[in-house]
Amino acid sequence: MKDKPELAKPVYRDGDLRIGVYVCHCGKNIGGVVRCEEVAEFSKDLPNVVVSRDSLYTCSEPGQEQIKTDIREQKLNRVVVASCTPRLHEPTFRAACEAAGLNPYLLEMANIREHCSWAHLHDKDLATEKAKDLVSMAVHRAALLAPQFELTVPVKRVAMVIGGGVAGIQASLDMADAGYKVYLVERSGSIGGRMAQIDKTFPTMDCSICILAPKMSEVGRHPNIELLTLSEVKEVEGHIGNFRVKVLKKARHVTKECTACGDCTSACPQLAPDEFNAGLSIRRAIYMPFAQAVPSRFLIDMNQCLNNQGIVACDRCFQACSNKCIDFAETDRMLELEVGTIVVATGVDVYDPTALTELGYGRFPNVITTLEFERLINAGGPSGGELIRPSDRKRPEKVAFLQCIGSRSKRSNPYCSNVCCMNTVKDALLIKEHWPETEIYVFYIDIRAFGKGFEDLFQRARREGVTFIRGIPGEIIEDINSGNLKLLGENTLLGTPYRYDMDMVILSVGIRPRSDAGALQRLLNLSTDTDGFYMEAHPKLRPVDTTTGGVFLAGAAEGPKDIKDSVTQASAAASRANILMSKGEVKVPAITARIDTNKCVACGMCARVCPYHAIEGSKDLGYYRVIEAACQGCGACVPECKFEALDQAHFTDAQIVSQLDQALEKDPNSKIICFACNWCSYAGADFAGVSRIQYPANVRIIRTMCSARVSPDWIERALIKGAGAVLVSGCHPADCHYNNANQNTLKRVEKYWKRMEKLGINRDRLRLAWISAAEGAQFAKVIQEMESGIRKLEPKAIEVAAEALTKRKTKKVEGS
Amino acid sequence: MKIWNFFPREALYECYQCARCTGSCPALEVAPAYGPRETILKCLNLGHEAVVQDEKIWLCCTCNVCEDRCPQKIPISDLLVALRNSAARRGNIPGKLSIAIELLAKTGRSMIVHQLDEMRAHHGLDPLPPAPVEEIRQILKKTKLNEVIDF
Ligand SMILES: Cc1cc2nc3c(=O)[nH]c(=O)nc-3n(C[C@H](O)[C@H](O)[C@H](O)COP(=O)(O)OP(=O)(O)OC[C@H]3O[C@@H](n4cnc5c(N)ncnc54)[C@H](O)[C@@H]3O)c2cc1C
Ligand code: SF4
Ligand code: SF4
Ligand code: SF4
Ligand code: SF4
Repeated sequence: MKDKPELAKPVYRDGDLRIGVYVCHCGKNIGGVVRCEEVAEFSKDLPNVVVSRDSLYTCSEPGQEQIKTDIREQKLNRVVVASCTPRLHEPTFRAACEAAGLNPYLLEMANIREHCSWAHLHDKDLATEKAKDLVSMAVHRAALLAPQFELTVPVKRVAMVIGGGVAGIQASLDMADAGYKVYLVERSGSIGGRMAQIDKTFPTMDCSICILAPKMSEVGRHPNIELLTLSEVKEVEGHIGNFRVKVLKKARHVTKECTACGDCTSACPQLAPDEFNAGLSIRRAIYMPFAQAVPSRFLIDMNQCLNNQGIVACDRCFQACSNKCIDFAETDRMLELEVGTIVVATGVDVYDPTALTELGYGRFPNVITTLEFERLINAGGPSGGELIRPSDRKRPEKVAFLQCIGSRSKRSNPYCSNVCCMNTVKDALLIKEHWPETEIYVFYIDIRAFGKGFEDLFQRARREGVTFIRGIPGEIIEDINSGNLKLLGENTLLGTPYRYDMDMVILSVGIRPRSDAGALQRLLNLSTDTDGFYMEAHPKLRPVDTTTGGVFLAGAAEGPKDIKDSVTQASAAASRANILMSKGEVKVPAITARIDTNKCVACGMCARVCPYHAIEGSKDLGYYRVIEAACQGCGACVPECKFEALDQAHFTDAQIVSQLDQALEKDPNSKIICFACNWCSYAGADFAGVSRIQYPANVRIIRTMCSARVSPDWIERALIKGAGAVLVSGCHPADCHYNNANQNTLKRVEKYWKRMEKLGINRDRLRLAWISAAEGAQFAKVIQEMESGIRKLEPKAIEVAAEALTKRKTKKVEGS
Repeated sequence: MKIWNFFPREALYECYQCARCTGSCPALEVAPAYGPRETILKCLNLGHEAVVQDEKIWLCCTCNVCEDRCPQKIPISDLLVALRNSAARRGNIPGKLSIAIELLAKTGRSMIVHQLDEMRAHHGLDPLPPAPVEEIRQILKKTKLNEVIDF
């Protein structure tokens, strides 16, 4: 690395520029709305454009070949592709440019699908005009692009898996078998997750722990896996290939010498509900999570232990242990680990139906959940596998299952939990297998038996006499004397009301994101979907990647799924991580900030806002400089510099201003300028398009990596040029992809509002909106609202505001 | 009268037909043929024009239990009130109900209970004061009920 990196300058002078424009029809996706030929024809007259074509699918092989041929034969030195979102095909077209010898950073894309044709389906004229604007913005920006050279950073050949359920276990084994060191971080005392709690698994009815236990022990003895139980990730720093992770490893108070003989447990006087048995049984303060636990060691629950005040008030377990492996003095430790890749497999919580008071869960002992049922019917469970009901420990003769409890509801989780239908069918068959005379009723809305072998299982249950009734009971009434339950409802297929008397009711509860999923989300800069599950980088093409490089998703943490899908996804995530680690290096985008040390006066303002401490320097040195390998390319620092010494590669002030100016060329008063961050708001606008949510066509979106890149100067320029309104949009404050860099966005916008107020400018013309990648509808709503705001604006007011701002600006320049 | 001014039409499409509403409905106790789930289905499949002909919509007592338990938070009793308003404006009021309204307009009471005063006295209550008939008539007129029922 050079000591004083130069600001990259455009290599070609204006006269030498040769731009090629490619307008993609995307079949009918764009072509059905935007008149692409007309846009291509229009582009021919844009400055420096030497080739302009439209094609049916630009991303196809022939489409890409055309670009390559033109680069070679027409000596193109800039390429503009007007097509889908750059979040999808920028890598494709960059590769095509590179293959033809053009630096990939000389490509620019205009998003005329997600942000145009799909969002304005019903107005071909408006959509076509907007597409022209977008292409024109892209061509002007392209003219100012400069070649960039990506830095290669090494990837540590060490992985971390967070969560030791079946997904985390599979991912760990796959990476460890490939030869990489794996830290498996599990919060509880044993790995295994939900699968360890389940009795049998659908659709094959395998014994769950029988197929899981061998995998668990393999993890325990694998030379490449370091298992960290009772551990949680507390801090993550760094980036793809080089993460520094702080893990809090809580004290187990039982040493490695433990032989799991269990002598200690019987000596312990302290009792607590056993979480593994869903609270249906009691354990001691010193206990083993379950018989097959890995590591196979006891642990002390210090919340229950009598010694939790720091003095030894009880030492019965210590006395009982012949191996002397109990250590009351052990303390929590903070480990600092360096890893190259991370797989998140933290799984799911189970819905708590207490809130649905009409069903009586928590009040009527014989109303239980499916998770409790799994433990009840398990040979290792509290009843030793006997089907009994809690109130009188008698075997129930009539059992009801209620479906969709806590799922598919605006009152709880709006989505389908995916596993509960088949889980109930499985449970019903299990009862039939052991106690065939039991009457079983399943009350449902829809039975979703979509997977391989699922329909078979469903039909089997029907053949074996399980009664399926369409219509969920409205109410359950308990008979206090017998503990029996009366179900009131309507059989919707017969259209008749029913009343059933049951001995036991099992609520088929849904699954939901971990209640603390937000903590890890913030540590790793992940996004979540509207349901709260971690979001994949692309739902179809990058289903296990996240938007944070080097971090992958596995299992139910990404969305409700069964064991098979969890395992499949875990192997996929491991394979994605393995690719990175086997390559051993990765290129990072060349979008870092650069300081012109000749202009830098060493004020140090930029260094103060950098969320990564990537700017160093001092008054003594005479300048500041950016540590390229540490800079993540948010651009938050750039607006801080008052001396034009700082700029961001590929998102330079000049480039953005050129887009802005083009967007406001025609009829500025009716336009909304929207600055959108790459990760959330730009993706949110993409999502609006994908969902075909329609909104006014007068918005022009300019992409930055982080909303903190947005300079107040741009806002001012837009208002001076007469823009009707300006929207600054970014990730929700806690979700910023750059370590809360967007606090700066808020500060700067607030400051600008004050300025507007002082000058008597309607402050509603500048709006700040936090829009996540899943909030397409929210994006559309904000634009809708701003559009109606603009309609109420007097052109005179816009003019007066522009004058006031210009005057202020000239005064400032003169004054300085 | 536009029903959809009083009930968000899109909410109909969110109904799962899970029947938690009907399963909770007290009207089911007295009239097993009635159910809010069915009313919603009929609005969707047959159109509300057909539903306003249906006498069953008058069985709802707007207790709101269904709404309370509906997983989709559909304002079911708003729908029933809107449907009944629309039905009433078309003159579709069940005979028994119009008699009750007529009675109310004439006597200030919707029901004549024989030996009411004796019964009250038995419980140590004073006789009921006379009903403010004129005031009630004015209120009924304000709702335009007199356009559908003669009183
Ligand atoms: C009642 C019920 C019955 C089911 N029956 C079946 C069935 O028959 N067949 C089937 O295919 N599927 C079934 N499923 C679904 C199955 O349980 C899931 O597919 C599977 O458990 C998902 O595995 P996972 O590893 O993603 O998550 P989990 O099993 O939830 O494991 C996640 C692990 O991560 C740990 N963890 C969580 N947060 C953190 C953190 N912050 N740091 C460290 N560790 C953390 C947890 O302690 C846990 O060990 C059932 C689910 C339920 C609820
Ligand atoms: S899987 Fe079945 S029971 Fe579970 S939420 Fe979906 S439809 Fe309802
Ligand atoms: S603020 Fe952002 S762009 Fe600037 S040096 Fe730091 S990480 Fe890089
Ligand atoms: S409870 Fe709600 S969702 Fe279910 S049938 Fe009734 S109206 Fe529809
Ligand atoms: S509001 Fe009407 S429909 Fe709903 S439960 Fe009460 S009586 Fe039944």
